[in-house]
Amino acid sequence: MWSEVTADPFPAEDWPSADEARHAATNGTVYRAESVHAPRRARKLIWEAREIGVPITDFEPKPADSASYRPDSIADGWSTDHFTVRVASVRGYTHRFRGTPRQDDVAVSHHQPTGAVVFAVADGVSAAPHSHIGATSACRAAVTQILADLTQGTPVDWQNVVRQTAWQLIEQARAVLGVPALDPEEAEREVATTLVAGLVLPTRSGPMAKMIQVGDSSAWILHGRSYRCLLDAKFSADDEVFSSAVTALPRVPHVTPRGGPLDPGGVLLVGTDGFGDPLGDGSGDVGTYFAAALRRPSPPLSFAYDLDFSRETFDDDRTLLAIWPRDDAEQPR
Amino acid sequence: MTGTRGNLLPVYVLADESGSMGPYIQDLNRGLAALHEALLGEPMAAAKVRFSILGFADDVHERLRLADLRRENELPALYARGRTSYHAAFTTLHRRIPQDVQALKAEGYAVHRPAVFFLSDGQPTDESWLDAYELLVDRNRTPGAPNIIACGIGQVEAATIVQVATQQEYGFVAMGGVDLGAAIAQFCTALTKSIVESGRALGSAQPELVVQQPAGFRMAIDVV
Repeated sequence: MWSEVTADPFPAEDWPSADEARHAATNGTVYRAESVHAPRRARKLIWEAREIGVPITDFEPKPADSASYRPDSIADGWSTDHFTVRVASVRGYTHRFRGTPRQDDVAVSHHQPTGAVVFAVADGVSAAPHSHIGATSACRAAVTQILADLTQGTPVDWQNVVRQTAWQLIEQARAVLGVPALDPEEAEREVATTLVAGLVLPTRSGPMAKMIQVGDSSAWILHGRSYRCLLDAKFSADDEVFSSAVTALPRVPHVTPRGGPLDPGGVLLVGTDGFGDPLGDGSGDVGTYFAAALRRPSPPLSFAYDLDFSRETFDDDRTLLAIWPRDDAEQPR
Repeated sequence: MTGTRGNLLPVYVLADESGSMGPYIQDLNRGLAALHEALLGEPMAAAKVRFSILGFADDVHERLRLADLRRENELPALYARGRTSYHAAFTTLHRRIPQDVQALKAEGYAVHRPAVFFLSDGQPTDESWLDAYELLVDRNRTPGAPNIIACGIGQVEAATIVQVATQQEYGFVAMGGVDLGAAIAQFCTALTKSIVESGRALGSAQPELVVQQPAGFRMAIDVV
């Protein structure tokens, strides 16, 4: 029975001070709420992810240590007259194990006048402490800028999309740090992120896709069981061993938009390397699994559950956007 | 890249087993046991590492090969014996690493550039080791040529450690007056942290070798 609280049931003097808490954290002392409330026998906590091959050790994730709320997973889905969209972003198992936030993010929006679906996918650079904020800012800034160009009826200025997004990132870093000015190098250290941004547009000759890439997130068209990579891959198959160097915002590299038709029966996939790495060229178990799972749109929560698959050594954040052209869509006149 | 089974980092501990290590070899064995225990508590990082231990003296004894440390009950011990042949050490690695990389790739793994953690307490007793070393680290001639992190204790000269490390920031020597047993323990602690952090980075957007400087050591280049 709840009743009006007339005295503080948790007086401040009962709480560890900030110094005591810090001391406890470095000495392994744990303040155990569960010693009062939890059942005595430890419950078996299981995440029950879908397993593809040898799974990652099962464990219950830690909360994300972040000043602002950062959900473990997000899922979204909807259809327009021309397209069906599914999107999910899930925290990687290493971040769950360590209690760090998901550094991937995604934004996707419908531009009603043109029927375009506009999207951005970002992967915050792990070394940058606020890269999760950078990823979110970059996605929203890129989508906003593309929508603005579409609304004006002018061709999308892709280089300007990158420039505006980089500027927003620097502003965001300045706000996070609470400083009046910040140079791009400092901002890079705080909020660096990769980005793929683009759109699919219904045209008289069928749906067309166009996008730009900064860094190693990528895009594919899935036809049946075959994946065609549309953007630069992270690794070269000819390398004896792997190594990579990442370009990330707020650096402003010269970008060249890539594009082409999205045939009926094809699915456009845009994803971070948390999805791209286990997919590889699509010929392995992960490619086979998703070729079946993406044959037609699934409920958004199933889509997210599929993306959260467990496979040993693949423990990075994963983000995936899938866009199906609708069979029953009327073509614009 | 095909649909891979996973990302792997081959790690080699190349440890001096020469006679002068006698008083300290148990410190090294204890340090490696602690490394094993620490990695059991980091199952995701451990999953991405294949661990080999090679002891070198007059020749090389392979104590452990490409082990998944989550599946090992205990690590084999090192023993002090003989002289300090760097030539034997680097020749063996030159033969072993390309074979290991191929074997792991044949199992379907994406293999990252191997990391060798080299520990020695003495100057090489052979002259011709530099040729073997240069062949080992030449990326044009040796498939999977490794990064080498070199740590020197005792009588080894800083200039030798600088020569062995593949980058200046990978060469460390124990500071003067430091107890050698304690220095070996610090080497193992730094090795553990380097493996855990590199394992975490593997499979992320920025896979990279993370090298932790052992406490009580300084960069060899600063001593030369």
